[in-house]
Amino acid sequence: MDIVISTLTSPVILFFILGMLAAFARSDLAIPEAIAKGLSLYLMAAIGLKGGVAVSESGFTPDLALAAVAGLALSFLIPYFAYVLLTGFGKLDRVNAGAVSAHYGSVSVVTFVTASEIFTGQSMGPAGYMVAVLALMETPAIISGLMLARRGQKRDENGDGGGLIHEVLLNASVVLLMGSFFIGLIAGPTGFEPIAPLFEVPFTGVLCFFLLDMGLVAARRLVEARAMTVRLTTLGIVFPLINGTIGTVLGTMIGLDVGSAAALGVLAASASYIAVPAAMRMALPEADPGLYLSMSLGVTFPFNIIFGIPLFAALAQAIG
Amino acid sequence: MVETVTRKRIEILVDKPLAQVPIRAAADAGIAGYSLVPVQSGSGRHGNWRNDRISGAENKVLFLTIASEEKADALVDALAPKLDSHSLLLTVSDVQVVRGERF
Repeated sequence: MDIVISTLTSPVILFFILGMLAAFARSDLAIPEAIAKGLSLYLMAAIGLKGGVAVSESGFTPDLALAAVAGLALSFLIPYFAYVLLTGFGKLDRVNAGAVSAHYGSVSVVTFVTASEIFTGQSMGPAGYMVAVLALMETPAIISGLMLARRGQKRDENGDGGGLIHEVLLNASVVLLMGSFFIGLIAGPTGFEPIAPLFEVPFTGVLCFFLLDMGLVAARRLVEARAMTVRLTTLGIVFPLINGTIGTVLGTMIGLDVGSAAALGVLAASASYIAVPAAMRMALPEADPGLYLSMSLGVTFPFNIIFGIPLFAALAQAIG
Repeated sequence: MVETVTRKRIEILVDKPLAQVPIRAAADAGIAGYSLVPVQSGSGRHGNWRNDRISGAENKVLFLTIASEEKADALVDALAPKLDSHSLLLTVSDVQVVRGERF
């Protein structure tokens, strides 16, 4: 219970809630686009670097390999489970269900960064290698979602296959996360020390500011969502609850520490709203972007930030 | 007075991730030159939209080109089946150009 209360009273989460409330109240509060973009690049570089430095200290352990396999499996399989509920309970057609399911198999970097910060504050920070697991989980879900959406369909011969592969493998978040992870891995603690003041001290403050912006963006997306139904909104909350529970239990079963198991739960619970939407727009132009963006960014992201993170931490502590 | 000739101006509002669709169709129709113009926000049959700076999936651009009637017809024929599936808004209008041989 402590972690639930401490999460909900942490400045990081409170800034997110402030952003949401401001958007719901139709305040004109806004973070300039270039600043928001810069903040997100800083956060990804910082989390990648810190993860790489941590792995350089701990070395490549069996836990790392197990977590990577578990993450890949979750990312690949979650869309199949989500697809069944989206077509059944959600009443979506094949293409839209495939597109939405890909988002739920993939991950949200910001949710992971926020969870890492909260868990570290609770002395249960996830292992550094979870950054690599995060990057690995971005892509398999896209393949699963496309396979589900295109079942029995002839592939669009004019489809931009090369552009899609480029977007999937070389999107900004994957390049920066993995790039800074390897920089941290090569540099190690000694090489990191001179740049630590930039990437460690301001980190939490920058995250607060970025989450203020994300609260504004998520709430505005929810307010403007036209394609959303009660059923889809329900699924936007049910998916993270089920996926996050599976991820946390799986992480505990394979022997991860409490923080890493909870982080795997958060990754499984999270839905992409950066890499996957652009990839789906290219690969499945007939799918409605209003649907998948509203579900992942408007419903699941705020749910995970406010409720999911403390829930999966509490679950990992209870069973760990 | 400088002599002008009539050419077709084609404008296509397209989601940025799908911008390659008209670019390739134009190239196939023999149209080499085009411009992509960023657009900020608007309103259509599906309601209001604006540049989504988080994912970029819904960002729109305006594909703009000028071509002969023959090439313009070829481009419109190629894109017509995709207008609904790819949410394209295509308009064609007559314009006067000075250097007609360039289009």
